[in-house]
Amino acid sequence: MKILVAVKQVPDPNAIRFDGSGAFAASTPRVINEYDGYALEEAIKTKEAGKADEVVVLCVGTTKARDAIQRGLAMGADRGILVQASESDLTSLTVASIIASEARDGDYGLIFVGQESSDGGTGNTGPQLAALLNMPLISNVVQFDLDGGKLTLQREVEDGRHIVEVTPPAVICALTGLNEPRSPSLKGIMAARKKPIEEKSVGGYDTPETQTEWGRLYSEQRTVQATIIQGDDAEAAAKQVVELLKERKLI
Amino acid sequence: MASGVLIIIETSAGQVRETALELIGPAREITDGGQVAAVVIGSGIETVAGDIARRSVDRVLYVDAPALERYTTDAYTRAIEAAISAVDPAVVLFPGTTAGRDLGPYIAARADATCLSDCVKLRWEDNGLVATRPVYQGKMLTDVRVQSGERSYAVMRGGVAPVPQASGSGSAEPLAVEIGDGDLRVKLKDVAEKPAGGANLEGAETVVVGGRGLGSAEAFGMIEELAAALDAPVGATRAVTDLGWRPHYEQIGQTGKTVRPKLYIGAGVSGAVQHTVGMQGSETVVVINRDPDAPILKLATIGVIGDLNELLPALTAEIRAARGQ
Repeated sequence: MKILVAVKQVPDPNAIRFDGSGAFAASTPRVINEYDGYALEEAIKTKEAGKADEVVVLCVGTTKARDAIQRGLAMGADRGILVQASESDLTSLTVASIIASEARDGDYGLIFVGQESSDGGTGNTGPQLAALLNMPLISNVVQFDLDGGKLTLQREVEDGRHIVEVTPPAVICALTGLNEPRSPSLKGIMAARKKPIEEKSVGGYDTPETQTEWGRLYSEQRTVQATIIQGDDAEAAAKQVVELLKERKLI
Repeated sequence: MASGVLIIIETSAGQVRETALELIGPAREITDGGQVAAVVIGSGIETVAGDIARRSVDRVLYVDAPALERYTTDAYTRAIEAAISAVDPAVVLFPGTTAGRDLGPYIAARADATCLSDCVKLRWEDNGLVATRPVYQGKMLTDVRVQSGERSYAVMRGGVAPVPQASGSGSAEPLAVEIGDGDLRVKLKDVAEKPAGGANLEGAETVVVGGRGLGSAEAFGMIEELAAALDAPVGATRAVTDLGWRPHYEQIGQTGKTVRPKLYIGAGVSGAVQHTVGMQGSETVVVINRDPDAPILKLATIGVIGDLNELLPALTAEIRAARGQ
């Protein structure tokens, strides 16, 4: 069985800062989307356990997205597919239709994605992919077992955990807690340089017409008036907080 | 021609998810002269469907089948697609539950349409739906407009709209949908209820919560000390419990507990919606964070920006002194 892991490259959520016009610095470092790391780790673990033959990492993104694939390869994936796109091509349905097209051509038994991205944050990719491929969708997965050709998965939901069974092929959306993604070893990084990355372009796919128009970014108007304290002097800041809590009779 | 709005009311073990009732208000804003219809999905739900009809919804359908007792994608999809055919709405609105966030984009994509997910506000403008939605983990907002398509699909975020009161009487129409076992590719084998245990977070007047910004399980020692100084229980975000830094029963949020304390103190908590839906009823919110753009600051009464390793022990010491400890 082959596994496809679709990853996204995003601006580092810990480093991103917005200016008054809603823009962020072009120099903001890019990282692989956090949830996609759990997806990659689980796919690689499955192959290491002898339950899959090949792990392919796919990224639809701008040229810089090659780094996200390199990281997946350094973690242990076998080969990469980079689909070059411009920023404006990257609506969730377009991306899902490209991933679906690759998934069909490659005859994969499992398709892993992260539950959602830290930038757009729609969480649309996994569900759209399952719909386009007519495959079962299992989201919010925090535990994964593949045994005798059958998957037993735990989903974290409002009720607690749903324990579900499904036979591949299936689309799996990985959530925090599924595993602890490894850091690539030096050996892994060296090995990744020799692994193939196939380059393609968005133009080569039959993608749906764009149906949405995204506006500029702006920040939310506050509804409650907050007292914001700069905490450079920790003791002074703590004193100020305690005074405010005393005024509110909370201490 | 398609008109009005169809809202999807999810139930679990016969109980309506409150998040789904929050769809009624936003749906009213975008009817463009059409109706607000609802479809209630579950097992043994005739009575709860009647209750929805008393909450300013024009038409209520319900699909009642044993296979719908709890959410699975295939069974819910059958029910919702049948309701869409029956109602022919211009907009289908899904709740911001884990199931709703699956179903919106899934059902839209089956109709070759896109879905506006995680919306905090909807409006109808120039014959089309416009949604305001958070991006970059809630640090910014943007408005997304649907440009084409016969029908639009959107998922509302939980906790952004009130639940309308029930009044008067109302009735719901059953909608027959055949759902056989063979239709279900994913089989729900068991439900592990949320872990019980820990102090009474739900009833506490003060809670002290740590998030992933603390950096390690060890750093939670500072949270425990602050909590002890206030005689308060410790809570955590999902990221923290999933990383194994804290037990799952301390989790506050959508898939954890809901708290409504007089005083909430959160340190290293970014403010992901998964967490904020479980704490936004707090009266006074104190946020301690190194990131001045952290979305949780939008909910803060008092925000302190700086190094947690210095601020938390300093605050603990000041509180101890103030309480004569």
